[in-house]
Amino acid sequence: MRAEHRGRAARLAVLSALVAVAGCHRPRTSVASKGPLRGGTLVYATDREPICLDPHVAGDMPQVFVAEQYLDRLVSMDRDGHIRPWLASSWDISPDGRSYTFHLRHDVSFTDGTPLTAEAVRANLDQMRDPHTQSTTAGGYIRQYVGTDVLDAHTAVVHLSRPYAAFLEVLAQGFLGIESPRALARSRDDNCQSPVGSGPFRIVRWDHQSDIVFARNPDYHRAPPTARHQGPAYLDGIVWKFIPEPQVRFASLQAGELDVIDNLPPEDELPAAKNPELRLLVADRPGNPTHGMLDTRRAPFNDIRVREAFVCSADIDGALSSVFFGRYRRAGGPLSPTTPFYSPDFEHAKDYDPLRADRLLDEAGWRRGPDGIRERHGVRLVVEIPERASLAPADRTLWEQVQATARQTGFDVRLEPMSDTQANQRVADWDDDVALGYWNTNTADVLRIVFGSAFLGRTGIGGHHQNNSGFSDPAYDRIMEAALETRDAARRRVLYHQAQAIISSRYLQITTYPQTTRLAIRSDVHGVRIEPSLGVTSLYDAWLSR
Amino acid sequence: MNAGVRTRRLASGLLGRAAGGGSVLFVSASITFIALHIMPGDPVMAMLGGPTADPSPAAIAAARHEYGLDRPLAVQYGLYLWRLLHGDLGVSFSQHMRVAAVLREQAGPTIVLTLSALAASWIVALLSVLVTTRRNRWLDGAAASVETVGASLPHFWLGIVLLWVFAFRLQWLPPAGNSLAALILPTVSLAIPLGGFIGRVTRDSFAAALDQPFVLSARTRGLSDWQVRVLHVLRHAVLPGLGLSAWAVAALLGNAVVVETIFSRRGIGRQLFEAVSMQDMPLASGIVLFVTCLYVIASLLIEMLSALIDPRLQGARR
Repeated sequence: MRAEHRGRAARLAVLSALVAVAGCHRPRTSVASKGPLRGGTLVYATDREPICLDPHVAGDMPQVFVAEQYLDRLVSMDRDGHIRPWLASSWDISPDGRSYTFHLRHDVSFTDGTPLTAEAVRANLDQMRDPHTQSTTAGGYIRQYVGTDVLDAHTAVVHLSRPYAAFLEVLAQGFLGIESPRALARSRDDNCQSPVGSGPFRIVRWDHQSDIVFARNPDYHRAPPTARHQGPAYLDGIVWKFIPEPQVRFASLQAGELDVIDNLPPEDELPAAKNPELRLLVADRPGNPTHGMLDTRRAPFNDIRVREAFVCSADIDGALSSVFFGRYRRAGGPLSPTTPFYSPDFEHAKDYDPLRADRLLDEAGWRRGPDGIRERHGVRLVVEIPERASLAPADRTLWEQVQATARQTGFDVRLEPMSDTQANQRVADWDDDVALGYWNTNTADVLRIVFGSAFLGRTGIGGHHQNNSGFSDPAYDRIMEAALETRDAARRRVLYHQAQAIISSRYLQITTYPQTTRLAIRSDVHGVRIEPSLGVTSLYDAWLSR
Repeated sequence: MNAGVRTRRLASGLLGRAAGGGSVLFVSASITFIALHIMPGDPVMAMLGGPTADPSPAAIAAARHEYGLDRPLAVQYGLYLWRLLHGDLGVSFSQHMRVAAVLREQAGPTIVLTLSALAASWIVALLSVLVTTRRNRWLDGAAASVETVGASLPHFWLGIVLLWVFAFRLQWLPPAGNSLAALILPTVSLAIPLGGFIGRVTRDSFAAALDQPFVLSARTRGLSDWQVRVLHVLRHAVLPGLGLSAWAVAALLGNAVVVETIFSRRGIGRQLFEAVSMQDMPLASGIVLFVTCLYVIASLLIEMLSALIDPRLQGARR
């Protein structure tokens, strides 16, 4: 087994090859127990450090993982995508869909002693919308927000400029967690260092480039319906470490110095699965899956036949089984399977079909040149893919496989490594053929952001845009708007099905695999949960048997 | 030489050195500023654009204004220098902290690592030189070869190998973290190449010093071989290696970028890498200036140390 691993891992980073054979570990004593035990400190390790602990500022995934431990939201979302109460015990929506009245719980205080009031809701939403907050995720999701009226201490009426059926869905995300208004009143950068919530843990200390220390909130008694228990968390605290090197993270876990790690690299999954002291926990994240978005604004992908040919020429299933050892599942449609209103009808619309790819390119007038690369009017069939420096090694290898299979069809795929900012700029300038990315969110409205014509460089400065395909179709835009205007689930399902059908049929992206949260957990750690709204680790139910 | 002349010489020497240090700082500040502005890409998008980011035009404009990025480049440069002159390193926009605060938090671990690596290199080099030089042909040659091999080993490769052997396989030392035990592997991976280098340089000068007449006279006075080596020869032999140590400090601080990342250590090396990839001009230039300062101070200290060891140098230099 060892030699076999060594052979396979050799293709990956040197470090990973070295570690794959290091399977030993420091034994730990563990006690058998029937129920959850209280006490102990759990040591968690992740790769990326947030730049700010307030998830309203900027809004990248590492922030929402931290936020899950210390913030509550107005509403929660369950596994089936239904919106359930949390800080708001109930809510009413005006007939025009533009006013949401939230009835807040009366018994909630933030960990700095400030009570939860309608004023707090207003302060949070106002802060997310304030340009100075630099909120790109939370702020981006509530563009429709106009203001909040405080009806009484525990009743807040939130006004929107237009109907927004996805509003409750985005409010259920950790990015829109509710913070103490007293803490928010400080400067943005101060609040970044030590934000205050009402969640099961509070932030004690943040040692940059080392760890965040959390302590249990002893007064916690308002877990969301998705939690497995009520009352305070079982753990005394959490040490949330930052260890960027994946192999160091995995080795430290095996050595017993860590309890839980996330972003387990694919090459470590099999050793982890075979180690009796470890357990894997994997969950898909909702949204637009990991993808390469085809730029339709320039040749060759301004021709739908070439787009379809490229999509058909890429053997994604083959790449997933070799690069990811078959442990990642394929995402074939425009939505990840855990997204509300996802339809499985489009999973196989874009499977590997090199014969079809050849036929389409012949039809489009691209003929094979002497080196096998196709040409038309003396122009080679070149596909430029900017590769950002932060792209994971496994993703790099995945796209090398795409490059190899597409070459057989006659595409000259050029993977161009560069810095993150450079890659951003290339995509912003439409100076690319494929933009690599993903979009994690818990609503099918993601298809409006990623493919809507309103998101084609409307931000003006720097040309930054969220719609990286250049797709623009008024009929599609109308469907996406209509889906926001109705709260009738059946009607939304029909509309979002139409949207998925349109996007799938236009061959605008090569989708690869759903974004996932992948944890490796030591066997004496129990109750670690991945919450459903964004697939984020929750340690509220976690307990230790040692 | 009377007292007045000496004081004047000392004062003008200090002034010259201050002016030299100041111009080094000015040049490195300017180069950092220019380099980060030549890099393609937009720092605001790096700041606002995670993979799932949807910044509004107002948010982009506000961020640009907040960090002065909406002004002409010449104005930005002038303001930057003006603030530096007043000791204001500015606010890091990727860390949401003042640059000075980031340095306060992160400089300590890097300085500790640099000093421990420097000390370890010298200990390794001196032991090797004192024990083996001119003992016998075979031992001398073997030690010199080991030093040459050590000097040619890349620190990042050493780091990975040490990590694998001592942290992953044998599990004697932690693979990551900021404890004292976690300092050992990064120190060794930096100290082996540097120790080999210093050893190689010191060995040559040590051998040369052994041929000096004063060695013979010391021996005739009845000193033992060890006394001659440690008390007389070493004093001459360390000077070239000592001169290299200022450069070594700068090299160690540079290598910290890689070593801190491999061993997941906190420090300004890893921070500099992040600052550059985020095009965080204030933080990157703050770290560069800080490292330059350390280099200037290290040069000064080493020059003083050299003068202390070899009094002839006191008059020879300014």
